[in-house]
Amino acid sequence: MRRALVPITLVTLALVGVQLSIFSSLRFSGVVVMIVWLWPLVVGLAGLTSLSIWTAVISGVFFDTHSMSPFGLTAVVGVALAYSASRLGKEGVGDLDSAAWWVTPAIAAVGGFLAPVLYVVGGFFELSFSLGKSSLVQTMVVNALAFAVLSRPLSRVARLAGGFAARARR
Amino acid sequence: MAAGVSALLVVLYITGGVVSGLRGTANLVVAPFSWAIDAVAKPIGHMLSGSVNYSDVVAQNQKLRYQLGQAQLRANEGWALARQLQEMTTSLNVPFIGSLPTVSAQVTAISPTNFAATIDISKGRDNGVLVGMPVVANGGLIGAVVATTPHGATVRLITDVNSSIGVTYGTSSTSLVISGEGVNNGLGATAVPLNTSLNPGTLLFTDGLSGALFPPGIPVATVSRVTLTPGAATFNLSLKPVADLAHVMYLDVVLWEPST
Repeated sequence: MRRALVPITLVTLALVGVQLSIFSSLRFSGVVVMIVWLWPLVVGLAGLTSLSIWTAVISGVFFDTHSMSPFGLTAVVGVALAYSASRLGKEGVGDLDSAAWWVTPAIAAVGGFLAPVLYVVGGFFELSFSLGKSSLVQTMVVNALAFAVLSRPLSRVARLAGGFAARARR
Repeated sequence: MAAGVSALLVVLYITGGVVSGLRGTANLVVAPFSWAIDAVAKPIGHMLSGSVNYSDVVAQNQKLRYQLGQAQLRANEGWALARQLQEMTTSLNVPFIGSLPTVSAQVTAISPTNFAATIDISKGRDNGVLVGMPVVANGGLIGAVVATTPHGATVRLITDVNSSIGVTYGTSSTSLVISGEGVNNGLGATAVPLNTSLNPGTLLFTDGLSGALFPPGIPVATVSRVTLTPGAATFNLSLKPVADLAHVMYLDVVLWEPST
């Protein structure tokens, strides 16, 4: 895990940069695609539980420092996605080699669909009761579609960056 | 280790709060990645969008020239009226937006998330921009400053779900509170009394009541839909911002604080 920490952290920071520079201004139907949530999810699907939670915290905290939304909430949602995905990843579900090609995109789509709801529900615990007034359904649908499309390429990146950890385990 | 973390937290707290300190530190860490990605992605993006949208750009340029001509004409016509209004409002001791000093700024970033409608601007505390100051652009109110740094500020747009504005209309003395409904949803007002004479197209502007967050007379939104519920004693309004919030590049921060 320690050997993969540096490449995973660097890729995470680069993806936060991609999120802020490209995806946050490139809106689809007015909706921002949250790569900072997809990344921990695909790292989790690679079976790297600790690293996926680390990426969720890093990407969430760095993203939240650029946004006026409740601080830390993006990280919390990312951790929930990462942990759930890593449970599946540990069982080999969503593995790029052994599972059917559509399994990873399907899991990612479910993650993208649920993540905005988790964010709104989490907002209640940070006393932000008005987050649900935003275009929630639109955000859920667009993120689900985008997560499905981007999950396989990002999974390859996750496997590459986490390769050190996998080799270390063997 | 623990002592180091504690010392860092104390320093961050003293220099403007832990979250504010974390924001600054995180900005420093992510900035090189963002700059590198911007340097590569933006020219390619501009080239692609320029080649695809060239005819649109030409048409938009012609339209802008026409609008500029109209605006110049209106400015010339309105000069005398503005002067008269300023004299009247001064004699009544009411602040008038035309007489308030402003700071021009450029939009440097838009909100990176789906859940907050904010923009970052290029002027901050060093230019006199303070939290709470109203921001106008494209012919209307676009928001208020919610955070500042020495060289920049964050503006919460009027469509943000946490944004509320006191407005009035026409010659009426009725005031309403309208609120943002999210990044893509404009504004709205609920529980408006039935005896209020509001129709689609009615222009709403800031009421400037005592203790208000904005000076009076700034156009905010127009009524786009009136929703009546059978049997209810009130109705709801859907509102469209006067300013085109999707295409704000330059704006003016009105140097006016709510307490003044």
